[in-house]
Amino acid sequence: MIFEERQIEKNNFSSRAILLFGIVVFSLIAVLVQVFSLQISGYNDYQLAALKNKNYEVPVQALRGEIFDRDGEVLIKNKPTFDLITRPNLISDIDSFLDEIQPVIFLSESDRNQYKKLEQEKAFVNKELVLKKDLSDEEIARFNVRSFNFQNAFIAKRYRRISEYPNIFSHVLGYTSRSDDEFKSMPEIPRSHWRDAELVYAHGLIKGRTGLEEIYEDHLNGTHGKRVYEINARGKLVQSLSLIEPLKGSDLYTNLDIEAQKSAAKFLGNRRGAVVAIDLDSGGINVLYSSPTYSINQLSNGMNEDDFQTLINDSDKPFFNRALQGRYPPASTIKPAIGMYGLLKNIVNWDFEMKDPGFFELPETGRVFRGWRKGGHGKVNMHKAFLVSSNTYFFSLAYQADIKELSNHLFSLGFGQKVCKDCYDEDQALVPTPEWKFSVMNAGWVKGDTVNLGIGQGYLLATPMQLAYYASLIAKKGVLSEPSIVKFEDAKKSLKIWQDDKFDDSDWNKMHQALLGVIESDFGTARSIRDLKQFQVAGKSGTAELVGLDSKEAYQELRTSEFLRDHSIIIAFGPMPNPRYAVSVVIENGESGGAVAGPVAIEVLKSLINE
Amino acid sequence: MSKQLQKIYFDPYLFFSLFLLSTLGLFFLFSASNADFSIVLKQCFYVFVGFIIMTLVSQPDPDVFRRTSGSFLIFSLLLLGITYLFGPEINGAQRWIRFGPFSFQSSELLKLAVPIFLANFLFNKKLPIQRKEIFISLLIIFSCFFVVFTQPDLGTAIIIACSGLFVLFLSGLSWGFIGGSFVLLILSSPFIWNILLQPFQRQRIATFFNQDIDPFGASWNIIQSKVAIGSGGFFGKGFREGSQTQLNFLPETETDFIFSVIGEEFGFIGVLLLLSIYLFILLRCFYLALNARDRFCRLVIGGLTLTFAANLIINLCMVVGLLPVVGMPLPFISKGGSSLISLFFAFGIIISMSTHKKFLPQ
Repeated sequence: MIFEERQIEKNNFSSRAILLFGIVVFSLIAVLVQVFSLQISGYNDYQLAALKNKNYEVPVQALRGEIFDRDGEVLIKNKPTFDLITRPNLISDIDSFLDEIQPVIFLSESDRNQYKKLEQEKAFVNKELVLKKDLSDEEIARFNVRSFNFQNAFIAKRYRRISEYPNIFSHVLGYTSRSDDEFKSMPEIPRSHWRDAELVYAHGLIKGRTGLEEIYEDHLNGTHGKRVYEINARGKLVQSLSLIEPLKGSDLYTNLDIEAQKSAAKFLGNRRGAVVAIDLDSGGINVLYSSPTYSINQLSNGMNEDDFQTLINDSDKPFFNRALQGRYPPASTIKPAIGMYGLLKNIVNWDFEMKDPGFFELPETGRVFRGWRKGGHGKVNMHKAFLVSSNTYFFSLAYQADIKELSNHLFSLGFGQKVCKDCYDEDQALVPTPEWKFSVMNAGWVKGDTVNLGIGQGYLLATPMQLAYYASLIAKKGVLSEPSIVKFEDAKKSLKIWQDDKFDDSDWNKMHQALLGVIESDFGTARSIRDLKQFQVAGKSGTAELVGLDSKEAYQELRTSEFLRDHSIIIAFGPMPNPRYAVSVVIENGESGGAVAGPVAIEVLKSLINE
Repeated sequence: MSKQLQKIYFDPYLFFSLFLLSTLGLFFLFSASNADFSIVLKQCFYVFVGFIIMTLVSQPDPDVFRRTSGSFLIFSLLLLGITYLFGPEINGAQRWIRFGPFSFQSSELLKLAVPIFLANFLFNKKLPIQRKEIFISLLIIFSCFFVVFTQPDLGTAIIIACSGLFVLFLSGLSWGFIGGSFVLLILSSPFIWNILLQPFQRQRIATFFNQDIDPFGASWNIIQSKVAIGSGGFFGKGFREGSQTQLNFLPETETDFIFSVIGEEFGFIGVLLLLSIYLFILLRCFYLALNARDRFCRLVIGGLTLTFAANLIINLCMVVGLLPVVGMPLPFISKGGSSLISLFFAFGIIISMSTHKKFLPQ
């Protein structure tokens, strides 16, 4: 090439090279601008995205609050044990795993079966499963030496809900069981992280199901903590970055009285029935017992299927809380309420006397309502009518009542409504009204229905809780704090006041005198329990007939079947004259109120008063 | 004679900047490989060998390369043929050829052979280049492209095509022809999309335009790369402190995405420093190209420099999300002996061409 051509070629090359080099520099600047926009402008977003990638939050379970009796003795506590815990989702062959661990930790046949059953029904949240609880020191030592053989098992401290009195407080305290939604309170942690939660309870996530455990779930439940792990791209936990400690739930201080509850259980024995006792000063419920019962320790901590089926199929229905849900005719225990009604409506006064021939004949139809004693009680006034429990007197009184007014009066004394502030699943039982009868039975209200109401028979139904409330209201002359199982600072303020100007202090005193006479006088129907105690007690017993019969002979025939026998009922309060506690006792098919239910009431009062 | 033997052809600017770059690369690789010493040692060995090769290659006169360019191209294609026949298949691609303990990516040689061959073919042609020469050049370029493309190795194939096209362009391809080719390329793009591209390559391009298509699948790499770089901020998270890198959220940290590691751990400052070194190297090569002794050297230096630049820029643009994902290492930093050795080889040729003065007027 000649020189000129070379020069042209060189210039051509240079300009093209400069062009391409310009593009290269431009591209590098474009990259730099993009990096700038990522690192400087978008820094906050990308930093968050990077943290979100690597930070993995898991919930840390909090302990539930514990429950105490009125003296501060623990009723339900969190009891720690050292347990052998497995990770069943990592174990491929359960049987050979159990065979391998058998020489180290002794497992009974039922331990193995129980474990295999639980393993099959394990919920997705509970990645851990306890193989054996409460290991001995020796077992722990043996396992620790060989722990490298068992990658999917470890020993750790785990808690259980344990009551020292598992049977007598079961209905009132309630039980806990596994729950799958406990960490709902932490919406910032995705549900998929729950399986890595740090659990403190052997049963994983637990929740109150009945009783105080359920009613005070939010109070007892602690504030769950949170641990932040660093994870890698495969989701493997690399290290713990931070921990927000969980906060144990608040403890619960109740009005329950261990000794009195023990007495109730002891003297009811294996009979079906219920006892409720109320502290008149605070409205605190000291005793709430239903029989038969079951073990909350077993129920909360894994009852085996057979035991559970036995309980479920038991004809005595141990799960049924008779104290709050049992509906019983109040029988003669309603008579003070009817008497109050008669006095308020001026149907009778304390001096009014009538002849009790042993029966009452309904003028309209000639239907005969019998008293409990053939031949009657002679001349009776109200005082005597309470003492001897004259049916005729109250039949006649009720006959003159207006049913609407009478049912309103019964409502005002707590019947037909929930009376307890914090009882689990309390039943409101039933105060009958003409509207109720029409809607349920499609029949009109007849005078005979009202007459039956006069002695607490017929359609009127009450729970032992309502009876105890009613007894307390009479004992406190109408001024009572709302009954509650748990102690409240402001209990005194939550007064429930029954007041009527026509029923003054002298009426209350006469009522107390009469009810005192029921137990303490020579003529009282419940005098058989007079000598069981050192102090004076007022009360009213009752015998609830389950089948309306015209004669004693017919009943003798009937009572061969236990479940048709009368219920035995008593309400009582003492010590008189300044009562501190009221109690109600119902014993199903116990017959004769005073003699059967009476001693139980007295023993419970003795336990409460002798403290 | 003795004076001639003593003379060592050497470019201090390139030598020291490449030394700095590859030393820094070892540090980055240490972090990117989660402190895997064996990887770093192996890479260190390749760097060492690379410098020796660069020094050796820069000694002969450029004429040697010119005279051997034909046989070099044939040799390279022969190796590719051997790879095609005997090479092991790794991850569905046949790219490697084994020499005892070492394996070599045979397509790397074509990055050198194609531009040198074309420079030799075109350096004495009259301006403007005739149709027949263009046709022969394009035939060579596209047959080499196609051979590598079918391995499949789109990244290397693109670089090989670039290396040839740059030489062709620098040697004086007419603007009319360039414009025409562009129109043809755009017209044939549906054909390229449907017939030539593999499904995974189509998916990469689709996800480039819409990363929400599959954030845990096809878009994962690029999203995590952007998160890594973005979360580095101005100063970075510190050496071995990048969570995206160390916890493996970032894929391919040792190879294609090592720039994201640098961005995450050393921040904007680190990126700026790294790009400055690259820019310095490019500037130096550009200066050498403009001042080369003859047209052949100009074309070879220019072609190799621009190939290096294309390699760099495609990798950077891909990693920061400006281009669809294509397998392309970051030169002198990414793990891998073949690419490193061929880069040092290229710089050896550049140094040879820029340092040897012409003794005989041509």
